[in-house]
Amino acid sequence: MFEEASEVLENMLKWSFPLSLVLFLVLVCPLRAEAAHEFSVYRMQQYDLQGQTYGSRNAILNTEARTVDAEVLSRRCVMVRLIDFSYEKYQKALRQSAGAVVIILPQNMSTVPQDIVQQFMELEPELLATETIVPVYFALEDEELLSIYTQTQISSSSQGSSSAAEVLLHTATANGFQMVTSGAQSKAVSDWAITSLEGRLTGAGGEDLPTIVLVAHYDSFGVAPWLSYGADSNGSGVAILLELARLFSRLYSYKRTHAGYNLLFFLSGGGKFNYQGTKRWLEDNLDHTDSSLLQDNVAFVLCLDTLGNSDNLHLHVSKPPKEGSPQHALLKELETVAAHQHPDLKFSMVHKKINLADDTLAWEHERFGIRRLPAFTLSHLDSHRSPERHSIMDMRPHVDLTKLSRNTKVIAEALARVMYNLTEKGVSGDLQIFTEQMQVQEDQLASLVDWLTAQPRAAQLLDKDSSIVNTLEYHLNRYLKDVRRHLVRADKRDPEFVFYDQLKQTMNAYRVKPAIFDLLLAVCIASYLGVLYLAVQNFGLLYGFLRRVTAPRVKQH
Amino acid sequence: MTLFHFGNCLSLAYFPYFIAYKCSGLSEYNAFWRCVQAGATYLFVQLCKVSEPFGPHKDVSNEFMKATVDLADLLGLHLVMSRNAGKGEYKIMVAAMGWATAELIMSRCIPLWVGARGIEFDWKYIQMSFDSNISLVHYIAMAAVVWMFTRYDLPKSFRLPVTILLGLCVYKGFLMELFVHVFLLGSWMALLVKAVLTGAISLCSLFLFVTLVHSN
Repeated sequence: MFEEASEVLENMLKWSFPLSLVLFLVLVCPLRAEAAHEFSVYRMQQYDLQGQTYGSRNAILNTEARTVDAEVLSRRCVMVRLIDFSYEKYQKALRQSAGAVVIILPQNMSTVPQDIVQQFMELEPELLATETIVPVYFALEDEELLSIYTQTQISSSSQGSSSAAEVLLHTATANGFQMVTSGAQSKAVSDWAITSLEGRLTGAGGEDLPTIVLVAHYDSFGVAPWLSYGADSNGSGVAILLELARLFSRLYSYKRTHAGYNLLFFLSGGGKFNYQGTKRWLEDNLDHTDSSLLQDNVAFVLCLDTLGNSDNLHLHVSKPPKEGSPQHALLKELETVAAHQHPDLKFSMVHKKINLADDTLAWEHERFGIRRLPAFTLSHLDSHRSPERHSIMDMRPHVDLTKLSRNTKVIAEALARVMYNLTEKGVSGDLQIFTEQMQVQEDQLASLVDWLTAQPRAAQLLDKDSSIVNTLEYHLNRYLKDVRRHLVRADKRDPEFVFYDQLKQTMNAYRVKPAIFDLLLAVCIASYLGVLYLAVQNFGLLYGFLRRVTAPRVKQH
Repeated sequence: MTLFHFGNCLSLAYFPYFIAYKCSGLSEYNAFWRCVQAGATYLFVQLCKVSEPFGPHKDVSNEFMKATVDLADLLGLHLVMSRNAGKGEYKIMVAAMGWATAELIMSRCIPLWVGARGIEFDWKYIQMSFDSNISLVHYIAMAAVVWMFTRYDLPKSFRLPVTILLGLCVYKGFLMELFVHVFLLGSWMALLVKAVLTGAISLCSLFLFVTLVHSN
């Protein structure tokens, strides 16, 4: 019975086995190779602003890695470390039509020497200005990436300098790397909505009160959107605005300190893209609605931009304020407060006319100036072209908390002196209003800046459902009334701004051997098989030898 | 060139089998289907082995137990050889060829197909192919030892060496893992040690076989 069963089983196996094998192979066909190393890469900016294209146009790459010193760079992925990066090398790679450029940034930016940071910050706008079809990626360094880089460097630098035999040996032992990104080609994001938030504190005493507008843009900018943390520019501005909202809402909650000014707070989006949020908000408020705080009686608009460091404070104006205007009053109060309460602070006014022929506007107040609203920007930078406003190096260590809270205090004191008309009432310049319970809370500012710099805030990454926008709205709701969202979408036919996607990718580095290695291996295998064949053919010799060795022993028995 | 690499590995793995089949004279005896039957028995034995439950912890005693289960391999080889009539060498070769080819297809083809075709290069595929060559020699030696063990006319003095060789064959995998673990051998060194060990076992079994066959 056992015999029959095994016969049946064997027959079954005989026929089903090959079929199942073929089926299995077919199912297993899709190839999923494991990479030597997988890491995140962040693409360089790609956007169109007012019809002008900027940045890298391409996202996909599947090329072999080389370092900059290699001779042949065309259609290769050029890997550079930040320390070795320079504009000439970048140009060289582009000229030789490299396949891609990957810039490796150290994990901890604070270890990089200051001059390299400064040099890179100045290079960023130039990198973006040269529009290129080569994908440019940034990666954060880790051990494996560093080892890949050193191996590539060794193999790159030895090419073209040795004899044929050495090259042959080299190919057998060298490890090449193939860099592949997994995403698709980049394309324009349609219907992106930039969100801005506004909130108000209504003044006491009837209608037709003058309005003070406080503005700060909350987005950040850098050569790679996913690495733009924008600590000083403009995380500091947002933190100050929220702290001012808290302080003044507190003052307004008591009848005795409820001032006769409306306060309008505005957190604008798309600030780094020529202040799109502000532009549309102004159009909506001035052109498309009948009554708005911005139409009636605006005392002045104060824009906060980059106030987290340094002992300078500049008030940028497009035309010098006239005597007797509220603008002039604020200017005077700022001077008074700086002189009396903070002697280490150097305050000055910077006058720059609006130049409409420029591609982009300089400061945010110019948007208001174009619509004939009195406005100025407060910043510790003296020029809008300063590289710190557009850099990925602008991270949390760039914000000095004591200086930030000092600047907050100066602004709050000056505003209060204007709103409560303190100088006319004869109050001396030394009197500090914001003390004790009303003092500027440094830990509040600290937690705000920490939260803002914990994630990238590039405008392309913050849509209307993003957590940052929601949290900002929540914050404003705690202190202000009538908090509203304002959306900006690009015009369909003639878009002012176009964003592109595929900004963050996963790159795989595969260990590869050059083609000649396979040929070499085939030759070796063929010779091995030849030797084996000869050995098997002559197996009889071994058999005979052993027979002869054992035979005499038997004969002796 | 990755398909090329797959081709390299496959030829390195499979050609020795082809050479052995052709040169050992099996093709003259129309032994192909018998080899396939041997392969089917291999599958059956593997299925039986899989159904044995063991604890999840990977430690020495567990590995030892797992290796003991490989005794089923010996039973399978014996079964194949007993069903085949013919000379001793014929039986051994048929059983070993079928067994080793089945092992090659089941345990090496899939990893090679999936892995060697990919972009990523790894030396382990070449090593796997070499390993299959070594397995062939190993199974021939094992089949020979099993055949000798079951002979009724085996002289007393041979009992002990044959039993020792049998034990070595079964526990070879276990010994290899022990070596690698203790001496922390690299992959190429481990392959070399395995080749040496298999060579030693097969030489001994060949010696015993020649003595047995030509002693009467």
